[in-house]
Amino acid sequence: MVYTQKTPWTLVMGVIMVAYAYMVQSGVMEPLITFLNTGRHAGEMQTLGYAFGAVAILAGLWQLLASPKEGQTDYYLSTVAGLTFIMLVAFIVKWGLDPLMAKWGREAQPALGFNFANILNLNYVVMGIIAGIIIVNVFKVPGWAQNGVRLSRLGLKTGVILLGTLYSFAELAQLGKLSIVLIGVFVLGSVGLVLWIGARRNLPNSMTGVMSAGIGVCGVSASVAAAPVVQAKSIEIAYTIGTVLLFGVVCMFLFPIVGKALGMGYVQFGAWAGTGILNSAQVAGAALAFQPTGIETLKVAEIFNITRVLFLPIIVLWLALWYVRREVVTERVDVMQVIVGKFPVFVLGFILMFLLSSTGIFAPARHYQGAYFDNSDKALIKKDRSGKEINNYLKDADVETLRKDAEKVKREDQRAALQRLIDNKKVMSEDDDATLRGIINAKIMSKEGTAVLNKAHRAVRHTAAKIAMFRDLIAWFFTFGLVGLGMQITAASIRQAGGQPLVIGSIVGVIKAVGSLIVVMMLVSETV
Amino acid sequence: MMQEDKFDRGTALTIFSTDRHEDLVALGLSLIIALLVYLFV
Amino acid sequence: MLTPARLLLASHGTTGARAAEKMALDLCRAGTELFHLIVVPDLWGGMMGDDWLNNASTRAAYGKYVEAQLAREIEQHREMLGQEIKTRGVRCHTKVLLGKPELCLIEHAAEIKPDLVVIGSPRPAGTSGLRSRMRLEKLVGALAVPLLIVPYPK
Repeated sequence: MVYTQKTPWTLVMGVIMVAYAYMVQSGVMEPLITFLNTGRHAGEMQTLGYAFGAVAILAGLWQLLASPKEGQTDYYLSTVAGLTFIMLVAFIVKWGLDPLMAKWGREAQPALGFNFANILNLNYVVMGIIAGIIIVNVFKVPGWAQNGVRLSRLGLKTGVILLGTLYSFAELAQLGKLSIVLIGVFVLGSVGLVLWIGARRNLPNSMTGVMSAGIGVCGVSASVAAAPVVQAKSIEIAYTIGTVLLFGVVCMFLFPIVGKALGMGYVQFGAWAGTGILNSAQVAGAALAFQPTGIETLKVAEIFNITRVLFLPIIVLWLALWYVRREVVTERVDVMQVIVGKFPVFVLGFILMFLLSSTGIFAPARHYQGAYFDNSDKALIKKDRSGKEINNYLKDADVETLRKDAEKVKREDQRAALQRLIDNKKVMSEDDDATLRGIINAKIMSKEGTAVLNKAHRAVRHTAAKIAMFRDLIAWFFTFGLVGLGMQITAASIRQAGGQPLVIGSIVGVIKAVGSLIVVMMLVSETV
Repeated sequence: MMQEDKFDRGTALTIFSTDRHEDLVALGLSLIIALLVYLFV
Repeated sequence: MLTPARLLLASHGTTGARAAEKMALDLCRAGTELFHLIVVPDLWGGMMGDDWLNNASTRAAYGKYVEAQLAREIEQHREMLGQEIKTRGVRCHTKVLLGKPELCLIEHAAEIKPDLVVIGSPRPAGTSGLRSRMRLEKLVGALAVPLLIVPYPK
């Protein structure tokens, strides 16, 4: 079979991308960029626009002009069309819809009394997934794009592997421990609960088996892995996967809304999303929806996700042995084969990348704990895109605010650090920075004074360029993957949610979500 | 009686044919990206 | 018309369809050609959902398993009908199609040109089963032969 389809669309999309990048570069787009306030994305608009546009134009020309024969070239090049398609959707959502919604949210705030874009988390990740779901259900994914849409899983896995560069040993150890405890309790607990309910209600073993994997471990992926093992009937598979997909979509919207309403921190929310969301594909989505401009939440949530993924072989093995004890099975369960076959190899990639980065080749080790300290003029005075100078020294008005609040500070070391800040209009050393953070955290000063201190802190803390690059890339890989996954959620399959799996799934799913929320709120603090 | 090719498994199937291929490609891609970041950023 | 020489029956094991099967067999005389159409709804294409985790081998195993399982269920279904068909001396052809139920039926009917098409009633609300309806309006609009809809058994 020849996969390449003769379509002008790849070429058209490529031309659109390059044209857009060129218009940004030449300044034609400036009014729009100012209108949407997307100046900070102007750099990536050009690089990504030119890069993907160029690839799409080349591949598009090849698709139109060449007549490919069946083979590897045809197969792999046919994915470029779909890849470009997803990227174009992601561009439109991230550089257009996301800022537009933010703007509308702000403008409607006086009338509505709340910022709907903020409360509903209408940011690029959520809207990207919605765009994917709308495209597949309303318009159908075009035939020429289908082969490329299959790349979305590769994008997600690459994102997870690259994420390995961002952890420190201490972070990974702490998060790892926490996740093993939480995931262990909730995954094993909910699998056990489903098996118990199934036995009480006298459900067929095959149904209980596929249900417990789907609801307990990581949703669709676990159902897919477990269905053959417990010899599930077709209707049981349909019920379970429908239920899990329904829950996944609902959770992805509900979790960030609840998290914001409760004022959860990044670590708390990441831990909760990683434990409580039924379907692991939506964990990354919920984490990015909660914190679209940074990846602290994603970092926590993905550790939980990886831990959960590592539980999958264990659960499949458990179900296999459980099923063999209850039913006549012709095939014997090969323990080693299950473990080796179901082991997620990309997790090794994550560990490899983590080890690689902990050698310090990307940035000195202390950068991973957060941003590094630099108060030189080079770091404080920057130029923006139009060449205008941005001076991050404190302004005179800021200094005045600090002077007013100065007598509220009683501790000697804090007074001294504050005085040095007032004299120099910048934080003078890393120790001073830590001391001033103490003033902020103790809420000694007025709201305005604290804001000035925060501003001074941000001015001298910088993220290493390589780490910042990794963050941006990771966010893009996840966006790409999630938009692609959105294109695989069909309403027809969600509508199959029903029967006992829907009843039991709702019970166990809600218990898991609420239970993990309570545990996380009680046990997890922001200090991890 | 059921011909296998009748069943379109949807867009969800990976484009990679053999087991592990995808994970390895993802790893390779990450390493290339890491190298590029290391060299050029 | 109610003694058709070529009869197209569309069914797949649900309660409503079983009533249709019974009716269709009642209409058959010796020598009637019965075309039995079984539609595997195309929602199965989306039944991997957003699985992002599994290796190619797991997905292939799952895909093969689902196919085999559907085939097994269809086979059981056929066997149940088979006995009845033999005693009546009916010639039976079975066809399995993947797609939207009404489109498959329209397409198949156009191909074999039956005298009568027999289908069951839609599943009443509240009973369990796959949610994949025959869209009757579309079917009635496009079908060139008489259509018999058997009431849902009480």
